[in-house]
Amino acid sequence: MNAFLDAVRRSGGIAFQRMGGLPTTRQEAWRWTNVAPIGRIPFELPRPVEAPVDLSELDLGPTRAVFIDGRWSPFLSELSLLPAGVRVRSLAEVEPAVLEELLGRVAKAEEHPFTALNASHLAEGAVLEVDDGVEATSPIELVFISRAGVPASTHPRVLVRLGAGAKAQVAEIYAAVAGGPYFTNAVTEVSLGEGATLEHARLQLEGPGGYHVASLWAAQAKASTLRSHVFSLGAQLARSEVSARFDGEGGRCELHGLYVGQGHQHLDHRTMLDHKSPGCVSREVYKGILDGKSRGVFTGAVHVREGAQKTDAAQSNKALLLSEDASAEATPQLQIFADDVKCAHGAAVGQLDDQALFYLRSRGIPLAQARALLTRAFAEEVVRRVPVQTWQQRVEAVLSRKLGGETSSTAEAGEKTS
Amino acid sequence: MMTPRAPMLEIRGLHARVGEKEILKGIDLLVRPGEVHAIMGPNGSGKSTLSQVLAGRETFEVTKGQVLYEGKDLLALAPEDRAAEGIFLAFQYPVEIPGVGNMHFLRTALNAVKRKHGQEELDAMDFLSLIKEKMKLVEMDQAFMNRPVNEGFSGGEKKRNEILQMAVLDPKLAILDETDSGLDIDALRIVASGVNALRHSDRAMLVITHYQRLLEYIIPDFVHVIAGGRIVKSGDRALAKELEKTGYAWVEGARA
Repeated sequence: MNAFLDAVRRSGGIAFQRMGGLPTTRQEAWRWTNVAPIGRIPFELPRPVEAPVDLSELDLGPTRAVFIDGRWSPFLSELSLLPAGVRVRSLAEVEPAVLEELLGRVAKAEEHPFTALNASHLAEGAVLEVDDGVEATSPIELVFISRAGVPASTHPRVLVRLGAGAKAQVAEIYAAVAGGPYFTNAVTEVSLGEGATLEHARLQLEGPGGYHVASLWAAQAKASTLRSHVFSLGAQLARSEVSARFDGEGGRCELHGLYVGQGHQHLDHRTMLDHKSPGCVSREVYKGILDGKSRGVFTGAVHVREGAQKTDAAQSNKALLLSEDASAEATPQLQIFADDVKCAHGAAVGQLDDQALFYLRSRGIPLAQARALLTRAFAEEVVRRVPVQTWQQRVEAVLSRKLGGETSSTAEAGEKTS
Repeated sequence: MMTPRAPMLEIRGLHARVGEKEILKGIDLLVRPGEVHAIMGPNGSGKSTLSQVLAGRETFEVTKGQVLYEGKDLLALAPEDRAAEGIFLAFQYPVEIPGVGNMHFLRTALNAVKRKHGQEELDAMDFLSLIKEKMKLVEMDQAFMNRPVNEGFSGGEKKRNEILQMAVLDPKLAILDETDSGLDIDALRIVASGVNALRHSDRAMLVITHYQRLLEYIIPDFVHVIAGGRIVKSGDRALAKELEKTGYAWVEGARA
């Protein structure tokens, strides 16, 4: 066994104990989200299963690393199309020097209970490296499938390093082939070299019994760009965190998110932007659509440190309530310690626009269809920013199932090809 | 003398209010197929309320009276069912709908109506040829079709878009609510010629306007003056000219 990994696991376990185990709602960061049910279920580490897994429904792309119950599946993975200078490997197979360089560098176990828990169970995951100046032309998919035969927990770790001027498009896709309950606790660490550009999507399509906690931690060198696209569509309880830190000037970070809750789903989102260098731009658009008795939570923290002049940060969170029993919380947290900065934020919780509904109905569109049309239009602002069409379509397919209707963009795409 | 055709729209003693405020206080009106009726009146007289009530806006509560459309109780129908039955309201303030493409919206609307009548829906290609034809009526560029509904449209573009929708949905009763408001003379001409091209012996129109100007382009068969929630005077085209000269001051007197 790798001595470094052993040490990470040990210190992860110690950090988790020191923080008192799973967080409670008495802690500010977990005020709206009660994770106690996760602790009550006797999750086991999954046992290896031999039976084949049918992933045809997910319509996966040509370049992918697939993990079944946390284990890398060479049979389902397909990496032969990767260009020179782009490597996707199993964490268990990467040489220790690379791990030591990337693991635990941005995601600190002692700062987050679930990161600590992930570290203490660390076994598998994906490592993506793109060399300086190399563009990974085809999108890369990292796919995590839970079979949920027993109440199982997995703790995948994803490490991404883009060299100077490198470019890549990566999606983490989380899904289940059976009901649940199960628990996914993923941690992603991203390190962007100078001038690098990463498009990162997280498609959370967990099954109805799933508990999903995932965080992305990014460190951005000078003039690098991160665009994150988070879609929280599945799971009964999900917490998504994205945290980006500007280590150099001229960086850009765009955080987009869409959460769609039904039934008793609880979907919590937290973003943290650390403007520690001057002249960086951050843009955030998170939108929620909440039906049934679901609850959506968004907390957007922006920290502009002393000396981070010419910071330009804008944050927007809008939630659409489709039922009287649904609810939404929005908490912007701005801490600004520089004077020459632009920081804008806006939060709104509302219902479908009455006038727009009447306008559509007056043209003959039935009420239910008009509602679906407007709801899909609300989501569109976030969906259309996804850079890879097949990822967009996968999201659209789930939205069609959950919300009905179709969007203009998919309809028009159909019009162009027909 | 021909026997008059059966009325398409019959409004009897219509009262409507919003909240506690009564706005329509007994409207009577009879419209037959092929006729164009102008409804004129000062601000706050109830013109726009009448159009919204006919289209089914739920903000307004009908407290008294009756509206028969082709002999059936119009007020019992949901807005979408009224549209399917052939009623079209060109909005005074067309609503912007970000995220919904104009083309998608209009095809969805047309197909919803067709579905209701058990007719075959139009696919994208057939709809495209239909819309290209209709866009000529209002001199609209196809670029409009790929933009979100009314978003960022100028006042004139929004009104042309309303007439385009009317041309596509091919209604029996078209209600134009202050279609002339906010239009310069060129836009007014385009909109009016689009409307005139849609005049038809089976189609009736209610043209609601504050000014006589529009009626120089869309020649009405009848002119009604509405004030204080009632029709206070009816006549032919000459009445509109008279209003142009005298203004609405006398109307305010006539209410008393």
